[in-house]
Amino acid sequence: MNTAVDDALWSAVGDPTRRRMLDLLLAEDGGTATSLSARLTVSRQAVAKHLVVLDRAGLVHGVTAGREKKYHVDSQQLARAVAQLADVGATWDRRLWRIKEIAEAIQEQARKQAMEQSQGQTKMNN
Amino acid sequence: MEYGSIEREIRIDAAPEVVFDVVSDPAHVQQWWPDEARYEAVPGSAGQIVFTKAGEKFPVTFQVVDVIPGRRFSFRWAHPEGEQASKDNSFLVTFELEPAGDGTLLRMTETGFRERGWEAAVLEDAYRDHSQGWDYHLARLAPYVETYLVAAR
Repeated sequence: MNTAVDDALWSAVGDPTRRRMLDLLLAEDGGTATSLSARLTVSRQAVAKHLVVLDRAGLVHGVTAGREKKYHVDSQQLARAVAQLADVGATWDRRLWRIKEIAEAIQEQARKQAMEQSQGQTKMNN
Repeated sequence: MEYGSIEREIRIDAAPEVVFDVVSDPAHVQQWWPDEARYEAVPGSAGQIVFTKAGEKFPVTFQVVDVIPGRRFSFRWAHPEGEQASKDNSFLVTFELEPAGDGTLLRMTETGFRERGWEAAVLEDAYRDHSQGWDYHLARLAPYVETYLVAAR
């Protein structure tokens, strides 16, 4: 991978229409310029141009099927994105566990204080 | 399919008011996430969270969005310094609280990965696999991945 290709990757994912196309290709297990154009309010020509950009960036791969190319999202690239999200999820699990511990410790302390106070009052009343 | 968000739920044996303080008060937040948290828990308050790694400080932007005591606290983070936090340049974290018996059901969602996740995944890979063009990658990688690597504790 050289710098020119990386640049293509960057601009490929930076465009909202192309991100939407990636979503559709994932949801519908691939698609052609025609099928994508039907789902987006974008001309077939524009979709075809976007597909070229995605293809050049390695985010999708096209296979000729009849008169058109059918495109699929690169599953390795997707796996990387998913793996990264899983990592982020795991760090949130740890943070939430700590939130739970802190909140429960505060609650426990408040309970104890309330109990001591009521015991003190009972003593005074006696 | 939604790859752009993370959702979690946890049951806590503490009143919603207590849990709300723990997720929103900077003094508590720095006990479960960054080393330092500086902001006011009021809508729109712009501040900073700071992570310390190997003696070095990594400040990250932080902006409070919603504050509904006992119910909801949300904020955006990791937008470029000097920019207003928005949907396209930051992560949105939302805590929703709901009474559950004697305790609280805490729901957390973090979104923004749809906008930034692909870039990060692609770059992370480049970061691992390529020594060529290192400076080039690093310059672009730094603000995002550094934030996440340092904040992943």
